[in-house]
Amino acid sequence: MELSRRNFLKSGVAAATAMAVGIPVSRIASAAAAETEQDWRWDKGVCRFCGVGCGIMIATQDGKIVATKGDPDAPVNRGLNCVKGYFNSKILYGKDRLTQPLMRMTDGRFDKQGKFTPVTWDQAFDEMAIQFKKAYEEKGPTGIGVIGSGQWLIQEGYAMTKLMKAGFRSNNIDPNARNCMASAVAAFMQVFGIDEPPGNYDDIEYTDTVVAWGANMAEAHPVLWQRVIDRRLGHSDMKIVNITTLRNMTSEGSDLEIIIKPNTDMALLNYLAREIIQRDAVNQAFVDAHCVFCAGPTDIGYGMRATDKFAFAAEKDIQAREVEVTLTRDEAIGLGLDPEQVHTIKQANAATADRHWLVGFEDFKAGVAPYTLDFVAELAKGDAEESLDAFKAKLVRLADLYADPKRKLVSFWTMGFNQHVRGTWVNEQIYSVHLLLGKIAEPGNSPFSLTGQPSACGTAREVGTFSHRLPADMVVNIAKHRDITEQTWKLPPKTLNPKVGSHITKIMRDLEDGSISWVWVQVNNPFQHVANANHWLKAARENDNFIVVSDAYPSISAKVADLILPVAMIFEKWGGYGNAERRTQLWREQVPPPGEARSDLWQILEFSKRITLAEVWKEQAIPGLKDEGFEEGKLPDVMAAAQEMGYTPQMTLYEALFETPQNKAFAWPDPVAKGHDNHTVKQLGVDWFVEKALFEEYAGFGRGHHHDLAPFDVYYQDDVRGLRWPVVDGKETPWRFNAKYDPYVKNGEIEFYGGAMKELVTGNLNGPTTEEKTKFPGKAKIFFRPYAAPVESPDGNYDLWLCTGRLLEHWHTGTMTRRVPELHRAMPSAVLDMNEKDAEERGLKRQDAVWIESRRGKIKAVIETTGRNRPPRGYSFMAFFDESVFVNKLCIDATCPISKEEDFKKTAIKIYKV
Amino acid sequence: MNISGILVVVPPARIEDATRELNALPGVEVHHTEPSTGRIVVVQEAETVEQEIAALSRIKALSGVMLAEMVYHVFDETPPEWDAIPAEMAAS
Ligand code: SF4
Repeated sequence: MELSRRNFLKSGVAAATAMAVGIPVSRIASAAAAETEQDWRWDKGVCRFCGVGCGIMIATQDGKIVATKGDPDAPVNRGLNCVKGYFNSKILYGKDRLTQPLMRMTDGRFDKQGKFTPVTWDQAFDEMAIQFKKAYEEKGPTGIGVIGSGQWLIQEGYAMTKLMKAGFRSNNIDPNARNCMASAVAAFMQVFGIDEPPGNYDDIEYTDTVVAWGANMAEAHPVLWQRVIDRRLGHSDMKIVNITTLRNMTSEGSDLEIIIKPNTDMALLNYLAREIIQRDAVNQAFVDAHCVFCAGPTDIGYGMRATDKFAFAAEKDIQAREVEVTLTRDEAIGLGLDPEQVHTIKQANAATADRHWLVGFEDFKAGVAPYTLDFVAELAKGDAEESLDAFKAKLVRLADLYADPKRKLVSFWTMGFNQHVRGTWVNEQIYSVHLLLGKIAEPGNSPFSLTGQPSACGTAREVGTFSHRLPADMVVNIAKHRDITEQTWKLPPKTLNPKVGSHITKIMRDLEDGSISWVWVQVNNPFQHVANANHWLKAARENDNFIVVSDAYPSISAKVADLILPVAMIFEKWGGYGNAERRTQLWREQVPPPGEARSDLWQILEFSKRITLAEVWKEQAIPGLKDEGFEEGKLPDVMAAAQEMGYTPQMTLYEALFETPQNKAFAWPDPVAKGHDNHTVKQLGVDWFVEKALFEEYAGFGRGHHHDLAPFDVYYQDDVRGLRWPVVDGKETPWRFNAKYDPYVKNGEIEFYGGAMKELVTGNLNGPTTEEKTKFPGKAKIFFRPYAAPVESPDGNYDLWLCTGRLLEHWHTGTMTRRVPELHRAMPSAVLDMNEKDAEERGLKRQDAVWIESRRGKIKAVIETTGRNRPPRGYSFMAFFDESVFVNKLCIDATCPISKEEDFKKTAIKIYKV
Repeated sequence: MNISGILVVVPPARIEDATRELNALPGVEVHHTEPSTGRIVVVQEAETVEQEIAALSRIKALSGVMLAEMVYHVFDETPPEWDAIPAEMAAS
């Protein structure tokens, strides 16, 4: 580029930047901006790198992305982007991008021990179908599985859900989002009877207080964090609190930093609830009108297997806790028991962990009574070098902020709460605190669950790609929900399987014990990101099974696969995401995918052409199925009923489920495309608009049922930057449950209208005492949940805590962000952040290479004592982005027993010099 | 070559000093300032993504910088290199 041209380009970029953030520029400068951009085609898109959901503008020229900018009209980010936003285009052009199907072969035939060899799409799908039929004939619908993603586009997640649940009659489909926000989902359902937050990001500009609970927002949600910091600049009364287990970047911008021990967030929340009651700060009118009190069983295990048959020898002591637990002294106090006695408790409610019942306010008050300042401060103080008095003063200050009736307050959380062996409980506890105060569902008062992935909400949750879900918050084990779904999908009655399928960790366990032998992975790297990875890697490679991985890059999961299918990425296809504030955003295909890479949606639809109705809608064995109207252990043959509806046994699943007359009515080409291409439609060789048809079919589930999406075309209008559902009469809903903003509120000013689990028996903290059920429509639940210790804690042998999380430069397992080599060099290999004194004590120093060992495996890393994460004594932190330092080999696969989300935050390790 | 437009925010009183310090950084040019709000638009030129990110960190480290985020990127003309099967795949 010659100099004058470059200088001109720079003036153009400067002017365009200024204009994007609303700084006025001269006429000459704005003309320079216009000229710089004149040959480019601009269109709106969404950042694919986190759940904040920033709007970006994308410029293309000759089939390539040439520039991107923060979208000045996007209400989420108002022109800003964080450094990850930069990779939306870079990520398409990595050196090792996969561009053709690869299969393990020897001598021209599939061989599990063979070498990856390029094959045609037909060869790939043919082998995939042979292997599918082998597993399916032998083991039935429970013998196959799909691992999906919170990065699935809405249409992809929907198509795969329909193929699995309606076609294959299998509920073994689960997204990696399970390990990101399932605890948030479970709590939303239990507390409100409907998923997703009442408020939205605008709460930041209305509030006086932001409390981040175990959420390093400055790194994980930077653009949102910027809005928090901006609010403080313009609002002198604003206070920011960071509650964390280690000092991190979020501490920098905070007024109050509270360092706590792992799992003691639960004790802290009970202290707050107790303080609110003691100080007479309960918003009585609100609680009386809108809340009930609840409790549940406490002997619920830790989501591990109840047998140690597959456990490594070193794992067995912890594994045994799934069956029986001796309470710690603090747990006994927190349960109101005598701490001097030994309490050994059988975990009798492991399989019924989500049971709960109504209790009275007095029961709740008695439950939180032990959580005094003295007890909680002693238990929770996480930094040994801080004095107890100083820590107590901080807790009192925190209680002051929450309890002040005049102060508006937002609580933010993500993985610190969600990846937690009591993740559902701790989510419920934060709602309890907000509900007691009535600080909810109005601008500035908001308990807000953030998400990590760009469409954890839009796809995983709203579409319902979980093993227990159907679209629009419905579930497979409620007959009425199956009926509605069967009618919408035009299925014969009893096609859908009423037995909840395997969640993501269980799919891995099923692979290990052989009950699943065919798995398809999309938009996801589960063999790296599921905890206790040594088990699953071995199962994938050594058992007799077939693993298909659709991926854009050679991730660890691709490498352990038997068949790799190359995919089109984000702006190489039409699609949509839903962010954490219920905002649905759609985009157009901007550039063609490279080589033979094709969209996941195309792959789903092509594969569905290879299976006929006769193969799946016959009688099927489902071990353990017991449900009203079903023969035990069986799904009925529905083929006869299907034939009456016009289906034939030879019809393919593609014809029966996707290429329906309704869907074919959406014609391609469509004016909404404005000249943009659609490779999915082209490669299918059809003349219907697949993405639009599926979106509209899916939206039919939610319209009129609290989850209304706008028509497809509306999201593409130039003046629309996503819309927050429910979108009723063309208007989005910024705050739900509040009559001022939410048209679904029919009774009074506030109504928690979610319908799930709003009829319960009554009892006390120990259990139900009646059999009679009480209905409480329109109300939310205030749960009492006691403190519970982590399933494993440091001891004399494994003597250090390990917490895992992510860093700004990298994103999740880094399959994508690591592809940008320069970025990878900026963070060359995973480091273990630890306290300098802990290192000294072990004869180690900064930059030493060490072995890190847990009960489940060991890995090598370099230690860092002066990084931007500063753990207190006894605690260490490692990011989980790096393929070469495989931290999930160390982590325990214990989960919250209600949500089945893994706890990546608390593993006991030891370290020693290499 | 990567060119990015970055928004920097400093306290209004510091805007002149900050402008001087920013202009002194390699590859960084101040193009627009808004004295009333302390907002500054800089353009940064860098050979690689790594340099670009390192430079952003340097901007963030200047005293008084309250915000520095990328708003606009223009990409270099690197040709796509997706034709070959990566060695690590072929070898596995
Ligand atoms: S905050 Fe999240 S959505 Fe916004 S630019 Fe950064 S990674 Fe993308």
